[in-house]
Amino acid sequence: MQKDVIVATEISREFHRADRQLVQALARVSFAVERGQFVCIVGPSGCGKSTLLQLIAGLLLPSGGTMAVNGAPVTGPGSDRGMVFQKDSVFPWLRVIRNVEYGLKCRGVDKAERQRIASLYLERVGLSHVAWAWPRELSGGMLKRVAVATVFANGADVLLLDEPFGAVDYVTKRLLHDVLLTLWSEAESGARRTVVFVTHDVDEALILADRILVMNGGRLVDDLAVEAPRPRTTDSLLKAEMVRHKHVLLTHLGLETRAPAAAGPALRVAP
Amino acid sequence: MNWLRRHRVSLLVLLGMAAIWQVLSMIFTAEAVPGEPMVPGWQIVFSRTLLSLADYWQGGLGVPSVASGAERSYPAALLSIVSHSLDTMVRLYTGLLIGGIVGTALGLAVSWSRWTRRLVDLPVQFLRTLPLLAMVPLFQLWFGIDFLGKVIFVAYGVGVIFVAGVVNAVKNVPQIYIDNARMLGASRRRVYTTVILPSIFPELRATILLSLGIGWAAVLGAEYLGAQSGLGYIIIYSEQFAYLDRMFLVALIFILYASVSYWLFARLSAKMLQWMPRAGRITALG
Repeated sequence: MQKDVIVATEISREFHRADRQLVQALARVSFAVERGQFVCIVGPSGCGKSTLLQLIAGLLLPSGGTMAVNGAPVTGPGSDRGMVFQKDSVFPWLRVIRNVEYGLKCRGVDKAERQRIASLYLERVGLSHVAWAWPRELSGGMLKRVAVATVFANGADVLLLDEPFGAVDYVTKRLLHDVLLTLWSEAESGARRTVVFVTHDVDEALILADRILVMNGGRLVDDLAVEAPRPRTTDSLLKAEMVRHKHVLLTHLGLETRAPAAAGPALRVAP
Repeated sequence: MNWLRRHRVSLLVLLGMAAIWQVLSMIFTAEAVPGEPMVPGWQIVFSRTLLSLADYWQGGLGVPSVASGAERSYPAALLSIVSHSLDTMVRLYTGLLIGGIVGTALGLAVSWSRWTRRLVDLPVQFLRTLPLLAMVPLFQLWFGIDFLGKVIFVAYGVGVIFVAGVVNAVKNVPQIYIDNARMLGASRRRVYTTVILPSIFPELRATILLSLGIGWAAVLGAEYLGAQSGLGYIIIYSEQFAYLDRMFLVALIFILYASVSYWLFARLSAKMLQWMPRAGRITALG
């Protein structure tokens, strides 16, 4: 089994804007993600991080370069990759458990087995009690847990999360991190799944990631290894390594100057 | 009793409308031809008029027809209403079903692939612009004046509405549901059956209600020309002899059928849409 699950080589992607102007969303981005790694992609809005995730997903195809997952070029969406979207993607016309079963049903898993798997993952995200509820009866945080359970139940070994917890409150977000990390670290077959998690929340990235890719203006501008032990808490964020990383990240995001101790305002608000 | 209390106002309005009609019948006593008032009062509609519908009973079931020399009777009148209604409804619902299915399929084809869009879009746009009722004589000549001609006519009238409704509704399906289904491994066919169809249904309710109305109009239009049975046949036959009261009674029967079909549809769709937030649900007419 190869070490690298995702290999992006010189990926470029252009879009035509409504006024027909060509916009370069990604310019010659190359990187590789190892199996079992938890990678966060951080960058200011409009930097191309969501585009990059969609290219791994196969929902978009590159204008130039190649994207390969598990050794095969990406030609479209597939169930070897699972995606948790920023907006609600839970099908409102299916009961919660039927949502979690959806991917399994697509792949022809028989009824008893898919119900067993779906129940298992609903239990692991703490939603057994609403298995037969309609999605409209659930809160925003619960819907996110349904979405996470759905991609895990589907068995994809590459999980793509596009600012999944951007719209939930702080407490719920922290609980969702725990759910996600638990599912990630308790892989039943022993092999951890690979996670690519897009966010613009620096603290979120530091709590979750083994590695943080920083993007800006359609390019990869940094690649940080986060070696702090797990489980991480808010206290972990106060450790020297984390503070250093945080300064680097905030600098990339344009919120801090390169040397925080230097004269002048430490916090610069981007125009 | 609860039902009466809840619908007190509606019932009073209905009774008021019936009373106004009665008053009008007493004020405007003009007659179309001698013995046929322009505004027939209820005492005429529910006695003489009802009885006269016995003329359209073909005989059978132990109730002889007027044509064979029997007296007009209420059993014959009721059987007449039932049999002509059945004829019309079989034409209507067969046409609705065919038109609904074919129209939905064509509507989905517009978004299925570039190739099917090119194939379907233009001809359907073209067919849509043809005025429905002006097409009645053409359909009669092409498909005959029997069952097939009427069913195809209703199916055509309903089908074009469905195509337009489905095309619009599909455009409004949130892309995220389609992306999510594809990421979970759904084939295009499965995306259509498990994502597109359920998510267009709420918007399609308006189309279905509209097509029920158009369907009634179409089946009557078809029966006006050359039918030997059906409610439209009774209306056009009555018109020739200026039997205004009979036309009015048949119109009342239409209102009854249309109300029942709207009510049934509202009940059914409320059941199918229990997943929707309450704000988006239709309130039952009952």
